[in-house]
Amino acid sequence: MTGPVAPTAAFEVPAAGSDFWRRFRRSRNACLGGALVVLVAAVALGAPWLAPRGYEDTDLLAVWAEPSSAHLLGGDALGRDVLSRLIVGARSSLLVAACVLALTLTVGTLAGMVAGYFGGWVDTVLMRGADILFAFPELILAILVAAMLGPGTGTVVVALAIVWWPGIARLTRALTLALRTELFVDAAVVSATRPFRILLRHVLPNIVPPLVVRASIGVGFIVMAEATLSFLGIGVQEPLPTWGGMIRDGLVALRTEPYLALSASAALGVTIIGFNLLGDGLRDLLDPRVRDR
Amino acid sequence: MPVLLTAVVLTFVANQFVPGDPIMTLLSDKSGDAALEARLRAEYGLDRPLWRQFLSYLGGIVRGDFGLSFRFASTPVIDVIAPGLLVTPLLAGGALLVAVPLGVALGTFAALRRNSLADTLVVLGLVAGTSIPNFALAAFLVYLLSVRLGWLPVAGWGALSQAVLPILLLAIPPTAYIARLARTYMLEALQQDYIRTARAKGLRRRLVVYRHALRNTLVPLLTTIGIILGGLLSGTFVVETLFNIPGLGRMAIQAIFARDYPVTMAIVLLFTFFYSGINLVVDLLYGVIDPRIRLAAPRAGRA
Repeated sequence: MTGPVAPTAAFEVPAAGSDFWRRFRRSRNACLGGALVVLVAAVALGAPWLAPRGYEDTDLLAVWAEPSSAHLLGGDALGRDVLSRLIVGARSSLLVAACVLALTLTVGTLAGMVAGYFGGWVDTVLMRGADILFAFPELILAILVAAMLGPGTGTVVVALAIVWWPGIARLTRALTLALRTELFVDAAVVSATRPFRILLRHVLPNIVPPLVVRASIGVGFIVMAEATLSFLGIGVQEPLPTWGGMIRDGLVALRTEPYLALSASAALGVTIIGFNLLGDGLRDLLDPRVRDR
Repeated sequence: MPVLLTAVVLTFVANQFVPGDPIMTLLSDKSGDAALEARLRAEYGLDRPLWRQFLSYLGGIVRGDFGLSFRFASTPVIDVIAPGLLVTPLLAGGALLVAVPLGVALGTFAALRRNSLADTLVVLGLVAGTSIPNFALAAFLVYLLSVRLGWLPVAGWGALSQAVLPILLLAIPPTAYIARLARTYMLEALQQDYIRTARAKGLRRRLVVYRHALRNTLVPLLTTIGIILGGLLSGTFVVETLFNIPGLGRMAIQAIFARDYPVTMAIVLLFTFFYSGINLVVDLLYGVIDPRIRLAAPRAGRA
């Protein structure tokens, strides 16, 4: 953010300075959420070293094994180590979420800025498209896309990105519209700056904070949606472990071997709560309307 | 309307994109039989140009005809999904009946005891309820209620006791959602001038809460009924798969794996129609229920 951003009274750009961190540390929810997210992210990143066994390694003696020193959380139907799959599952979950987020933010922000800045038929076409996608229930639209593309990791990413970009685009468009009347944008136009340069150097830096808030709130939902699709069997496919798929497999054997379903459910729940707490906390910190209350 | 049309076009296009030739799959070992193949193609209308196929697809949908199933040869899709047509609304309706009163009650309860321990506990529970997917909660609930305590059957469909757990699980996310909103709206309503007026003229606190504040809490809640129903419809996919309930949601998922796309598309279409219809009704009802909107509209028009 080194562009020539003129100071503006209407839009406060919270500097990532000491003030932000001081308030972040004071917010109990943001801290707890942040800690949980960091923990899950660390597990995901360190998965190859943390997992005691390979997530694909089968062990006939460990089929539906009780927890023991060899398999801390027992084994699954194929004798694979549940703890290792749980750890690698964090990777699948966060990787899909990161891809979806990158895709939605790119497409949504671009579409929103272009629609808001240029207006006219571009605006109409983009926003009508967004409206129509918006009118579907989220999961049903995702299932429709999944049915079209066939189950798989790529499908999940594309399906969830299709579901989520309209929301980002709407937000970006509204923010861009508000900025268009600002003096520093006029100044840039007058000095013959090309439109896309204006969007990237002058508009984008000013809409980052609300986008960060929106994205951080969205991650929890994306993780939840990925798990749901994987639970239904149309998400990330075997042998890659996912928490949603592990819960499905585990529920079958809940009566005798509850560890698989319960541990995967707990991991999923903790991750989503972590993201939601962090998102809510960030919103409280960065959104002036909520903050001043 | 554009939503419905888009849904129809999307599902039609989706059918074209689907990998594999459904007729070849149907024929399987008889794939050498050219006469049979031609007859099947004609029966499914796949020998006609695309635009004719689209028009007849569109025309069929208007008449409630979703074409023929790819999995069950020569069987209309509507006959395949007919058994589930009652099951899913029963589940969703049951969940709605649980979620709305419970959510409003919890939200009001928490709002009236703002910042107390009870309020904090309720809010924490609500955050968990909206955060944790219901199939993850299911693992804990089924383990506790069915496996450990043996109160309720683990899965299946037919008996009343088998409906309790699915409806309960389906109701958790909307209950938490409604309660969070109800709490916020109730807190807002309690700060309004008319509440102070009502208290000042000597009305009892309970009467003020139920007669004045609650009523104004319900109006904004009504606008969210569309979102809630959308969530419930999505939830039926999960809960039906989870408990092996022969409803539309499980059929749609099974159809994806069986490559029986007309069935999946028909169910997606049905859900979308229903969802858009509800949202339309809500928009219309909104003006009827809240006089401020009805009165504000013409004034805004004149200005």
